[in-house]
Amino acid sequence: MPPQVFRLILLTVAIVGSYVIARQLLTPPSFRQYGFYRGEALAEHASHTPVFAGRKACLECHEDIQKKLFKDAHKTIGCETCHGPSSAHCADPDSAAKKPDKKNTTACLRCHEANPSRPVTQKQINVKNHYSSQKCAECHMPHQPNEVP
Amino acid sequence: MKNTFSRRGLLTTLGAAAAGVLSFAAARKAKAAIKTVFVRTNAPKDYNPYDHKWLMCFDVDKCIGCGLCVDACKKENHVPEGPTYFRNWIERYIIKKPKPGSDAARGEVIVDSPNGGRDGFPPTTIPREEILKSFFVPKLCNLCEHSPCTQVCPVGATFDSPDGAVLVDPNYCIGCGFCIQACPYGCRFLNPETKTAEKCTLCYHRITRGLKPACVEICPTEARIFGDLKHPVENDPIQNFIQKNKVNSLKPHLGTDPRVLYANLDKEVR
Ligand code: HEC
Ligand code: HEC
Ligand code: HEC
Ligand code: HEC
Repeated sequence: MPPQVFRLILLTVAIVGSYVIARQLLTPPSFRQYGFYRGEALAEHASHTPVFAGRKACLECHEDIQKKLFKDAHKTIGCETCHGPSSAHCADPDSAAKKPDKKNTTACLRCHEANPSRPVTQKQINVKNHYSSQKCAECHMPHQPNEVP
Repeated sequence: MKNTFSRRGLLTTLGAAAAGVLSFAAARKAKAAIKTVFVRTNAPKDYNPYDHKWLMCFDVDKCIGCGLCVDACKKENHVPEGPTYFRNWIERYIIKKPKPGSDAARGEVIVDSPNGGRDGFPPTTIPREEILKSFFVPKLCNLCEHSPCTQVCPVGATFDSPDGAVLVDPNYCIGCGFCIQACPYGCRFLNPETKTAEKCTLCYHRITRGLKPACVEICPTEARIFGDLKHPVENDPIQNFIQKNKVNSLKPHLGTDPRVLYANLDKEVR
């Protein structure tokens, strides 16, 4: 074999070899576990801690309120829709859960103020004509809106 | 001086070095495998991405535009504050009556989304008599089967996971913004803190734990329906929804084949 051909082969082997080694070192270990990406990214996304506990979580300790809620018009609403994120309270009931201010009418109006964009099936009130001098909670229980306290 | 190098000796040393480097890589791989199992105790371990296929459905006729889903998403995923950073948002469509005398079926279409709908929608200033119809459309990542955003990523940082979520790997994203331009639905943004692309992850940390995404959890009217096509439960809400409604997807002509379906969608919605 002429020496230049031998050197050419040696050079090719060296280049390909260093490419293979560099690739081994630079590719993250979990690459191609699921596809052309780092498989560990899935576990990283999954490892965040949830902030909202979910509808089933409150049932464990507040079944009485859940029962009341299911009896009336607010049955499709989850507890945390009005009470805010409560997973800290679920893990440790001593940490206070947020109790919405019952004098706060804007919370109710967010869903019930008359708005031509809302579907007609949603019960809406015209704020000025609906007992505007009083607070909603004086006539509607938040958990059972058709009951009077 | 006598030359102490021989070709055989040099080749043997080189071969040994290469073998050493290769076995180092193998050891690194094994170490990383142990790390994923033991260090990431926070991630649910019994979740197999091949064993699920998630689907999201919306009933436009049920959305009341309270905007609590937008608020919940920001809180759940620690999305940066500010009026341009949203993983999901609500649009209000107002379709005006056609001008008197014109032969059009409908007039001007006005779309707005103040702060993404996070603070709810104040009643519009357009007088009621001029409105032909009006409705809210909730929007988020369309979970495309053929996602344009993953095709343009130059570094493989965004991908379709086997369970149908389209995710971004924040450690690999270089923040070039190609995917933000490529998304036909405008569902991505550049996080101003990390400078990486961000989008709806379908609340990946929740669905892997058997919870529903925060926006579905919070919706007061069941306008959002979420489920697993591979594990239909008894009286499955997703199957019922598709059976009862005539469903459609956004921009079907683009061939992205979204896995977010809408019922009662108006033709003006884009
Ligand atoms: C592990 C049991 C447990 C779970 C789960 C739980 N709670 Fe509680 N919760 C309690 C106890 C005990 C109290 C009474 C604490 C007190 O009076 O100081 C309480 C009190 C409350 C209060 C009243 C606070 C006040 O200031 O009066 C609210 C509101 C509340 N919970 C909401 C929730 C919601 C919403 C959930 C679901 C996300 C939930 N809780 C889940 C045990 C629980
Ligand atoms: C429509 C919004 C709404 C929903 C839905 C809701 N709550 Fe409440 N809740 C309130 C408001 C407002 C108060 C404050 C009432 C008061 O101060 O008297 C309250 C008070 C409470 C209290 C304090 C004790 C009491 O009875 O007054 C508890 C406990 C509670 N809620 C638990 C729950 C649980 C559990 C659920 C889910 C099953 C739930 N809530 C769903 C609005 C709501
Ligand atoms: C997150 C949205 C939301 C909030 C907040 C909310 N509601 Fe409701 N409310 C609904 C939904 C949804 C219904 C059931 C659909 C309907 O009938 O309109 C409903 C039903 C009602 C009804 C029964 C209407 C009927 O004729 O059956 C009353 C009354 C009512 N709500 C009052 C209130 C009051 C008072 C508050 C404040 C404490 C409140 N709501 C807060 C969403 C909400
Ligand atoms: C003085 C008592 C009183 C107060 C205060 C009050 N309501 Fe009512 N509300 C009623 C009565 C009575 C009805 C049922 C008869 C009717 O439709 O007027 C009613 C009905 C409703 C309905 C159902 C409307 C429908 O079309 O069926 C909603 C929603 C409602 N109220 C929400 C609210 C909200 C939100 C507030 C606070 C801003 C509020 N109410 C304050 C007494 C009250």
